[in-house]
Amino acid sequence: MKRAIALLSILAMAGLFGIAAVGAGYETQPADARIYDYSTPEWEMPDGSPALENGTRGGTVYVSAISNPRKWNDVTAHETSTTQYTNLMFDGLVDLHPVTGALVPTLAKSWEISEDGGTVTFHLRQGLKWSDGVDFTADDVVFTFNDLIMNPDVETDSRDGMELPDGNYPVVTKIDDYTVEVKLSTIFRPIFNQFTFNIMPKHKLAQYVHKLNPDVPAGTFNEAWGLDTDPAELCGMGPFIVASYQPDQQVVMTRNPYYYVYDTNRTQLPYVDKYVILTVASQDVSLLKFRNGELDGLGIRPSDVPLLKREEAVKDLTVKVGGGVYGTLWVSFNEDYGLTEGDPYKDNLRNLFRDLRFRKAVSHAVDKQSIIDNLYNGLATPQWSFVSTPSPFYAGRDYYGGPVTESNAVTYEYDLAAAAAYLDDIGIVDTNGDGYREFADGSTVEILLETNAGNTLREGFCLILQEDLEAIGLKINFQPVDFNTLVTRLLGGELYQAAVLGLTGGDDPHGGSNVQLSTGGLHFWHYSGAEEPYDIEVRMNELFALGAGTFDNDEAFEYYKEAQILFAEQMLGMVFSVNQASTYSFQNRLGNGYIASPICSPSGNNGLGYDLVYLK
Amino acid sequence: MKRATLQIGLFTLVIIAGLAFAGFGLDRNELVAIAESGTINRIAPSISMAAGTELAKEYAETKTQAELENLVMNGATAGIRTAARLALSIVYSSKTVVELTALATGDIDPAIRKAATAPLQLFLVEMAADDLYQMAISGATKEIRLAAADMYYLKTRDNLTAASLEVAACSSDSEELEYMAGVYLGGFYLSFNKKTMEQVEALAKSGACAGLKVAGATALTSYLITTGLTVEDLEVAVTEIDPAKYPELLTAYEDALAHAYGS
Repeated sequence: MKRAIALLSILAMAGLFGIAAVGAGYETQPADARIYDYSTPEWEMPDGSPALENGTRGGTVYVSAISNPRKWNDVTAHETSTTQYTNLMFDGLVDLHPVTGALVPTLAKSWEISEDGGTVTFHLRQGLKWSDGVDFTADDVVFTFNDLIMNPDVETDSRDGMELPDGNYPVVTKIDDYTVEVKLSTIFRPIFNQFTFNIMPKHKLAQYVHKLNPDVPAGTFNEAWGLDTDPAELCGMGPFIVASYQPDQQVVMTRNPYYYVYDTNRTQLPYVDKYVILTVASQDVSLLKFRNGELDGLGIRPSDVPLLKREEAVKDLTVKVGGGVYGTLWVSFNEDYGLTEGDPYKDNLRNLFRDLRFRKAVSHAVDKQSIIDNLYNGLATPQWSFVSTPSPFYAGRDYYGGPVTESNAVTYEYDLAAAAAYLDDIGIVDTNGDGYREFADGSTVEILLETNAGNTLREGFCLILQEDLEAIGLKINFQPVDFNTLVTRLLGGELYQAAVLGLTGGDDPHGGSNVQLSTGGLHFWHYSGAEEPYDIEVRMNELFALGAGTFDNDEAFEYYKEAQILFAEQMLGMVFSVNQASTYSFQNRLGNGYIASPICSPSGNNGLGYDLVYLK
Repeated sequence: MKRATLQIGLFTLVIIAGLAFAGFGLDRNELVAIAESGTINRIAPSISMAAGTELAKEYAETKTQAELENLVMNGATAGIRTAARLALSIVYSSKTVVELTALATGDIDPAIRKAATAPLQLFLVEMAADDLYQMAISGATKEIRLAAADMYYLKTRDNLTAASLEVAACSSDSEELEYMAGVYLGGFYLSFNKKTMEQVEALAKSGACAGLKVAGATALTSYLITTGLTVEDLEVAVTEIDPAKYPELLTAYEDALAHAYGS
């Protein structure tokens, strides 16, 4: 999730600043080096992609970005235009495996959790150095968490993520130079995601922190490592270090000679010498430069696929269509519609929406294949879960971080007869022969279906769904509306009837607790569940608490699997449609280009997500 | 592809067979020999051009702008002229939009104009789609109209479908828009609306209009590259195809041969 590849160009010599001060590198491979063994199951590529392989060192790789960085200060960064660079300069105690998405040890080589779950002890890799040759120790870890992230003087988005459910914060303590203890007032598994935070160099940055250096005013750190910083001052534990920066032109990054990752040939990564990120005006320019061979990799849109497919053979590049992306697309029916108004018609609709048979009928009426073929040109797969497919907790896997087999998938075949049967069973039938079903009181079952105007995929989904729901006798009034208006209606409790929208996704299902918990701020289909939860919502709440309350990822997987299956079988607060395939393209001169995925490049930047690509 | 019957003289057959001993890919000396050979240029200019395509990078690195411009216009063989034009595009990439536009629309050798349009596209791509559309209709030269049409379809790719391109390929407001609609359509025939190699080859030969033939040829080139045809196969093919009767088909084989030379 942190890795994005930046390229360094020979033009670094013409940069505004000098080359970063770097040391000479390790004399021998550190004993605690992290080893990428591509022959192990964790590195097995999904989707039939070619296996990764040991590469050779050398060369410069080029990618692009459509915005300049705003700073080199990772802790205070609020924007991906900065973190796409800083995520290459730094590393955390743990990180997501670029293939499986599972949490793996990085700067920490191992950890233990006490029996009561109240203490996590991290054992750091020993003998590592910052890019300037200074030793990496527990002091840097404690500094990062205690003096930066949890320092109220520091303007960081990371602090909120450290808060435990009981309102306390972890207490991070140095035990010795290579051991860090984290005390937790409550077991909270998602806290581990916070240990992916990039570790900062104390020897460089402590000087800017008022609590450590009273000579500087409080808040000085917020201005540290701006773009005017001499790159010689920057240092990190990541694969690359900024060598030069030319606004609106490029960022040049060179290899970190003390990067601690090696392959099984004892070759130190990163393989490439330099990364250059060219600043371009638009995605169109990126595409053009990629076609011209000026860029080595690119995250592409489905609409780019035909253009690049015709050039794939001629220009020796690869168009990779991979697994799903983070996020969901769904239709949802408001189970609180008109709850407090006492309007008989609204009561009818609300009761209909609350009937699981109705939501199952809709599930059978969503023609996912049509959506895939007509709206996504085949570049999507059926979606059934609220957890994104790249997540290691996705229940389409058989175990945490395992390959996607869909053996657990809850599917509703596109079957209008089955859909109609559910509606018949509810008791809403066409009594007057006008083609539409009526409630018992004779009023037509008429539903307002909304989505945000201008989103052609969602509008297309609505039109397909409208046609199918009308085919089973439901009168659907489709109305695209302004996005902010739609959000207001969605969050308004009683306002919307049916809506098509999407949610972002992430690696940890806990990130969706604001949607799935009956008390969640985005539990939009049943806000009254906060006070009067359904039995199934009570169970969902329990499962989310259980999932967050164990540090055992395998155990947590089972809880979240049950939650996903329950949601699909018995809740259906959202009827999911399809998940867009991830699409990337890279020049065939790039080895290991197939690593590109949403796990490696969650923002879709560049398409090349990691430190193991090389030039053939 | 079934092996075509050779219809050229024995002397040429010997030359081609000899060159083809290298199998896939040729080294620099071989490419130069082909590109600069007057005999090959006379008998099989397509082969000469294909070799020239692969020499472009070397020309860009070893020759001056003035030398390249001269070779574009006066090079002795199609291969030399092709190499020079492609190399000139690389050299021109440092020019301003004003300079490139002047070259692309000037009363100069069409090959020079064509060389200028490749780097000019990096500026054209920033224009609004409507403006590109107008330029594709009324641009001062065929080269600028073609470049604008290319960028127009790139800018509007989110809305493209095979069906819309099939219409545009045969009926647009300019030949250049029809041509580029065909090029973009070729990509659909390799992806979202996949056609077989046989289907696209038939389209390249007998499509209902020039734009559809271009679509077929565009897709065919990819198939020709990926189906493992040898240099020899392709050299024979390009000499077999009647350029007057099947120009689009010939282009597909020429492009595949150029790729084979460079592999």
